Amino acid sequence: MASKEQIKNLKYVFEPRSIALFGASPTPNKVSNVILKTLIEGGFPGKLYPINPKYQEIVGLKCYPDLNTIKKQIDCAIIATPAATVPEILKQCAVWKVRGVVLITAGFSEAGEEGKKLEDEIRDICNKNNISLIGPNCLGVHNPATRIDSIFLPIYKLQRPKPGNIAFITQSGAIGSTIVDLAAYNGIGISKFVSYGNAAVIDEVDLLEYLENDPKTKTIVAYIEGAKNGRRLYEAMKRINKKKPIIALKAGKFARSGEAAKSHTGNIAGSYLAYKAAFKQAKVVEADSIEDLFDFMKIFSQPMPKGNRVAIVTNGGGMGVLTADAVELNELQFANFSEETKVGLKKILPDFGNVGNPLDLIAEADADKYASALDFFMQDDNVDVILVIALLQTPPMDERVLNVLIRVSDERKKPIAVISLGGEYTENYQRHLNMYDVPSYSSPNAAVRTMKKLIEYANYRRGL
Amino acid sequence: MTIIDDYRLLERYGFKLIPYGLAKSIDDAKKLANKIGYPVVMKIISPQASHKTEIGGVRVNIKNEGMLELTYKEFEEVASSHKLRLDGILIQKMARKGIELIVGAKRDEQFGHLIILGLGGIYVEIFKDISARLCPINESDIDEMIDELKSHPVITGARGKKAININELKRIMLNVCKFVSKEDIKEMDLNPIVFDEKGGDIIDVRFTK
Repeated sequence: MASKEQIKNLKYVFEPRSIALFGASPTPNKVSNVILKTLIEGGFPGKLYPINPKYQEIVGLKCYPDLNTIKKQIDCAIIATPAATVPEILKQCAVWKVRGVVLITAGFSEAGEEGKKLEDEIRDICNKNNISLIGPNCLGVHNPATRIDSIFLPIYKLQRPKPGNIAFITQSGAIGSTIVDLAAYNGIGISKFVSYGNAAVIDEVDLLEYLENDPKTKTIVAYIEGAKNGRRLYEAMKRINKKKPIIALKAGKFARSGEAAKSHTGNIAGSYLAYKAAFKQAKVVEADSIEDLFDFMKIFSQPMPKGNRVAIVTNGGGMGVLTADAVELNELQFANFSEETKVGLKKILPDFGNVGNPLDLIAEADADKYASALDFFMQDDNVDVILVIALLQTPPMDERVLNVLIRVSDERKKPIAVISLGGEYTENYQRHLNMYDVPSYSSPNAAVRTMKKLIEYANYRRGL
Repeated sequence: MTIIDDYRLLERYGFKLIPYGLAKSIDDAKKLANKIGYPVVMKIISPQASHKTEIGGVRVNIKNEGMLELTYKEFEEVASSHKLRLDGILIQKMARKGIELIVGAKRDEQFGHLIILGLGGIYVEIFKDISARLCPINESDIDEMIDELKSHPVITGARGKKAININELKRIMLNVCKFVSKEDIKEMDLNPIVFDEKGGDIIDVRFTK
């Protein structure tokens, strides 16, 4: 648990104007070499200071032996030197008033008694000097907007997401990096990414408290193995979730996987029953899998629905039926369209077509038909949420349909989710939709289940 | 501490236990049973016998003085054959017929006290159908806990059966959270509580500090 000042100082970690990289190395594939190259390739706009007494220059940048030689106040230090050297480096940071530190190095509390002592020592130095430290034993941070990036996995192997408004905090680096890669691939934007590892100074609750007041973050996603203090986590989630939706994935739910978590991060995985209770009580959106996590986090870009009455539009009968089944299964309501909507919809259907819900535009549907149907749904007070089935394989379905969906989503009147199922062509378009904050799903079940989460969260917020 | 001390402590917190008394002799037992009213339940109370049923230390539906006297003597024999120190025989009113619920609480080292609710018998044991919340809780938390049970229609009324007295269940659950927090209880079981539409009888309570 960090001080208020330290939580505030996280600003220097997420928005540094200058970065010193301790342990910078010219050797390809070494952690510190990858970080340096990533910062350069990623286009970090601030000043970069590689630090290593052994070198004069690394990848074209002047290399310094220590902070004393730089003689400037630096916002953030990224440290990737052996554990035993870290206390001395932090003392240097204290002298030069470095406020943000990302400590990548492993070999602390997760590695036994000696490591634990070392971790206590660095915590002490940070707390005395108001240093906000992420780590150790972590990937650190990435902020696509400011381009700080301490993830030591090269960009050509692990893509970086575009700036967005979803913050992602994770105890596990491996899960974290996977999520970053997948988010980038699927067109999902990120406001802040933090892999916090052992949480020696800044822990998950400190991060939540920072994100609570971060104007760039609208949704918070947390991957948790074991919290430092469950009760404090619960109280923080309960408070923050009233302002910004929190989606949580708890790993180490059962005794066996609980053992793995313990050796993993030197933390005791709390009992799942208590976590589950805490999530329910804080009305946190609990994800059961990484798939859930992705499904759920996309939907919160949409406006809050006023109720649970669903309108479905489709260009394929079968998918409409499957989606209707999912609506029943998830106990949502079908919207009864107003007379005005019915009259209007009748005009866009072929002569033999029926105005129903699901509304079947049949295979001849094109962008214009989708546009009219969606505009009627948006105006109809009997409709709360909209599910758009867009099977992109038919001849009239082209990128103009995407433009319609993006336009309707941008109007932010009612939440929409798009269901498209198909191969490469379809997947490309799905990513395109996600990129424009139109949540896109590959199965009716996933879309409906996710929409239900949004409806439940909206109900909760309305009742506050 | 005997079970009677535990019961008194619970009563100070407002738990309404099913009428009971601890008999030290046959005469005691008769007086208590007359006061409580037949039929009664008799239980061996001994610090060495936490699983009363397994040694034959629980008898239900004792209808009259004759049965009471016979059972009392049998219990004395059970105690001596198992070499149990006999603190007395608990005389309890027979519980109403109804639905058995389990309410429990435990202290979690990460989250503090949590309370659980489940249906007795196979529901908890086979289907692991329980819901949990962190203390303190409010009435809407309890509504959600009931709702979350797969077996909730049994509580809220199904197949022509009336709903149980949910207000009484809420009173008990709120009280459990208050009790475990104030007394810093490690674990607590109210198992079972028998409910019908009129109310609930707490049949057995155990807690450890």
